[in-house]
Amino acid sequence: MNFNPISVLKKRVFQQNKGRNLVAALAIILTTLMFTTLFVLSRSMYKNLIEMTFRQTGYDAQVSFKNITEEQADKIASHPEVMEVGQSTVIGLGQGKALSGRQVEIRFADEIYAAHSFAKPTTGRMPQTMDEIALDDIVLDKLGIPKELGQRVTLPWIAEYTEAEARVSEFTLCGFWEGNESSYASMAWVSREFADDVVAELEEKGARGSTVVTEKAEDANEKAAVATTEISSRIAGLHMAQVTLYRDRDIEGTMDRILEDTGLTGVEYSVNLAYDPDMNRMASQESLPVYLGMFLVFVAGYLIIYNIFQISVTADIQFYGKLKTLGMTVRQLKKLVYGQAGRLCLLGIPAGLLLGYLLGMVLVPVWIQMDDASASNSPLIFIGSAAFAGITVLISCMRPARMAGKVSPIEALRYHDVQRGGRAAKRHSGSASLPALAWSNLGRNRKRTVTVICSLTLGLTLMSVFYAKNAAFDMEKYLEALTLSDFQIDETTSEDYLRGYDPHGDTLNTELTARVEALKGLTGIGCVYSHETQIALNEQTIANLQGFYTDEVLADWASYDPTGPESVQTTVDEKSAGAVVYGLDGIALDAYVTAEHMLAGNYDEAQFATGNYVIAAGLAMEKKDGQILPTVSVGDTVEIEGQVYTVMAVLDNFNVITEGAKEGGLESENKDRHYLEFIVPFKTFRVCWPENTPRKLFFNVEDAYLDAAQEMLDRYSAVTGENLSLTTRAGIARQYDRETRSSAVMGNAVSIVIALVGVLNFINSVVTSIVSRRKEFAMMQSVGMTKSQLCKLLVYEGLDYAWITLTCTYAVSSLAVGVGVRAMVEGGFTKFRFTLLPLTVCTPLLLLFAVLVPYLCFRNVEKDSLVERLRSAS
Amino acid sequence: MEAIVKTAGLKKYYGRGEALVKALDGVDLEIERGKFTAIIGTSGSGKSTLLHMLGGLDVPSEGSVRIGKQELSELTNEQATIFRRKQIGFIFQNYNLIPVLTVWENILFPIALDGRKADKEFIMEIVQLLGLESKLDSLPNNLSGGQQQRVAIARALAAKPSIILADEPTGNLDSRTSDDVIGLLKVLNRQFHQTIVMITHNPDIAARADRVIRIEDGKIVD
Repeated sequence: MNFNPISVLKKRVFQQNKGRNLVAALAIILTTLMFTTLFVLSRSMYKNLIEMTFRQTGYDAQVSFKNITEEQADKIASHPEVMEVGQSTVIGLGQGKALSGRQVEIRFADEIYAAHSFAKPTTGRMPQTMDEIALDDIVLDKLGIPKELGQRVTLPWIAEYTEAEARVSEFTLCGFWEGNESSYASMAWVSREFADDVVAELEEKGARGSTVVTEKAEDANEKAAVATTEISSRIAGLHMAQVTLYRDRDIEGTMDRILEDTGLTGVEYSVNLAYDPDMNRMASQESLPVYLGMFLVFVAGYLIIYNIFQISVTADIQFYGKLKTLGMTVRQLKKLVYGQAGRLCLLGIPAGLLLGYLLGMVLVPVWIQMDDASASNSPLIFIGSAAFAGITVLISCMRPARMAGKVSPIEALRYHDVQRGGRAAKRHSGSASLPALAWSNLGRNRKRTVTVICSLTLGLTLMSVFYAKNAAFDMEKYLEALTLSDFQIDETTSEDYLRGYDPHGDTLNTELTARVEALKGLTGIGCVYSHETQIALNEQTIANLQGFYTDEVLADWASYDPTGPESVQTTVDEKSAGAVVYGLDGIALDAYVTAEHMLAGNYDEAQFATGNYVIAAGLAMEKKDGQILPTVSVGDTVEIEGQVYTVMAVLDNFNVITEGAKEGGLESENKDRHYLEFIVPFKTFRVCWPENTPRKLFFNVEDAYLDAAQEMLDRYSAVTGENLSLTTRAGIARQYDRETRSSAVMGNAVSIVIALVGVLNFINSVVTSIVSRRKEFAMMQSVGMTKSQLCKLLVYEGLDYAWITLTCTYAVSSLAVGVGVRAMVEGGFTKFRFTLLPLTVCTPLLLLFAVLVPYLCFRNVEKDSLVERLRSAS
Repeated sequence: MEAIVKTAGLKKYYGRGEALVKALDGVDLEIERGKFTAIIGTSGSGKSTLLHMLGGLDVPSEGSVRIGKQELSELTNEQATIFRRKQIGFIFQNYNLIPVLTVWENILFPIALDGRKADKEFIMEIVQLLGLESKLDSLPNNLSGGQQQRVAIARALAAKPSIILADEPTGNLDSRTSDDVIGLLKVLNRQFHQTIVMITHNPDIAARADRVIRIEDGKIVD
């Protein structure tokens, strides 16, 4: 019958305090739940960011070779540190209107390469014979081919950029898979046989290419380098490889070692962006609000768990004193308190983990704005959350445990629920009114009062801050920056950064523009034309460029884009720059030549219309006094293709108009030069470059006709089979809502839970303060206090809590919103408004609680008779 | 006879200035081993304070308390606690039983806290003597006052302490039960040669002790 007194006591004491434990377990569950949810969000953010990067880079192996021979790749594959190597040969690029807007790369690849490129057929298999092809569903949809094996595929394509006529090949579909929308290109797999044929044919035609290198691998490294520069016009024959290593750490070091071991030093490779250390940093930055949330959860959790334990220990102080007289040491007493906490954790933490994970799974797709974002289930989440929750509980228990340990056996016999010391001696005499009594009762345990008020204030203030921050967003401002009109249609090639913008494209043909012009309710229309050329720069402009692009600015620029500073240098050295000339009319011109966009000079409509003036545009900078603008100066002259213009004004960048690819794309003749941008009058543009077609078309319609306009465009797309590059104001607003709903949901969820914790804390405090004073109340009643007076006393106490909380919350929130949020939302698409709406909503609720909780509690106490209560407890 | 308890110049003052209370004001006392000693005094005479000092529950303002060879002022709080559970058995007016533990567990509690093995034969002997055999699995709240006090006595005795300090052990009991309890204490005193110091304000009860010490205003009067 030997027994361990501490563990028996732990168990029995725990069983005795069911109500109190329920509140504590609830608090621990809430705390763990929040930690888990936040952990799930941050881990999922990381996981999805990596996966998204994989999809954007188009592969998930660690290393890729853009130009390597098969022999070299085989050598690397046999290295012990390499897990596997996938290889692929590029044959050509898909062509034709149906494929516009999507790069389709025709290639041969082995299974490994296809698998690591998210392009392994999920239905069917990789091609094996000359006439077989495997495609993704994006391409199938564009070609209008049903997703069935055995379908005939007619594909126009080119093997060289210089080929004027596209070749047309017939294939049978032998496999397909779900396309990767994030990637820049779709893969079209063909058989090795087909690939070899094309390469051989090109060789016969005398085209030199990387195939030459394949055959003479002895000096492969030099040839590979040569090939990179020569490959410009050729597509076919380029051989690529993806290397999967066993380890993720120090990929470059490992790769260099492998290349050295295999004698291939110098072959160029690139490390997958997803494995870059910067990704980690980026993920942590994205998770910043999560860390803030965790801190707040910790504070809220601490406030309530601490309060519960403080109350428990206070209530049991005589019990602890008794244990001490019987010989329980401080260590044993602390063990007893921690043991209670441990038991509660054992109940609360697993429940919190489960609920938190479920909540996390629901919130992940809302919070992470990526397609098919999924929740991470890394064990780190559970270990981390459990540890954080455990630590919170432990820290919350520290003071109560110390208090239990410090109890003096003699004083414990006299202890009541009143804080000793302090200013207890000071009592103002005179009124013994109920409100005064209630007020002094609140002061009896100042620590608890402060804890509860802090807890409530924290939740309510957070709510106000999140609300004010979200309310500060100005959708109109945002839309103005991102759009110019209700609808915007771009020339299909406008965004083709690879092959370049075609100034004679036919997307915005006369038929489409006529249809737009005929729309009912049309309130404004405008278009953008563009033309690319070269201009000579005078001394003043060179001085402007040099004055702006100081060494410091250039060094900063070079840190993320080394080609930028080089192009500026070339431009300055050669005194000639690339130039994009825009012709704008209607609402496009009106929206751009406004005072907000004006960095220098003034726009004069009448003078501009004379055709003698030009406006410099596209400077991505903010207006500041006395700054040097890196373009032509106002009043200066500039010659564009033989015409001399005077510079009227300089405008900042308006992405809606200036965004888009250069003519010639990657092979633009000005690719090594810095660009300057100009606006000439529309009439002048049409006279100078009459062949050019519109690049962008903007139009507004009355709200009532928005749907009709959209329908017209849909019909047009359906009839012509043209995929219009369409941007609508409504679409952008929708997208914004989708993207930000997440953080709004997050913020509100965190603040609501923290406010809930505050309310729980409040209820717990009121309930215990009433229950622990049952005898005192009985005594008051025995000397003549009526029930209703007692009830009033308790309600006054609750109201005292409420008004102190409200005063604190209004003060702190005003400060937080007025100063904090104002600073936080400065700049960007916001318009700060001072608002404490959530507080206004919560005020009556809080007052209601303040009355209701004591009232209900009192009713409960009243159940026992007066005598019973007088006699109860020692 | 050797003295098991010895105090010298024991003082305990509370407050200062006009509010100074001299709860104990220079107590020199020797209590012999194996004796049943009663300390008698009126309410506020300082008898409870003296008992607390003897038990190491409270710290004197001045003077010394020696239990056996141990000078109590040399002990830290924690050491005093451990000394207490090994050497001193307490019996309180309100029994101070732990409501969540059974009678048996209550009796064993101080020994178990000390991590010692209980001398079960000895304890069963006490249990039989106190007539608690049938109550061992009960919880204290299901017992009468007299029974509860007997459990407290068993608990005090179980650890074979050097001394038992009893603070008004019959204060909450009716006169017949009081008689029983005092009788039991006397039996235990004889049978186990257990030193007992008892506080009481009742001269009839005090008269049954081997020796009576009277205390008034913090001083011993004979």
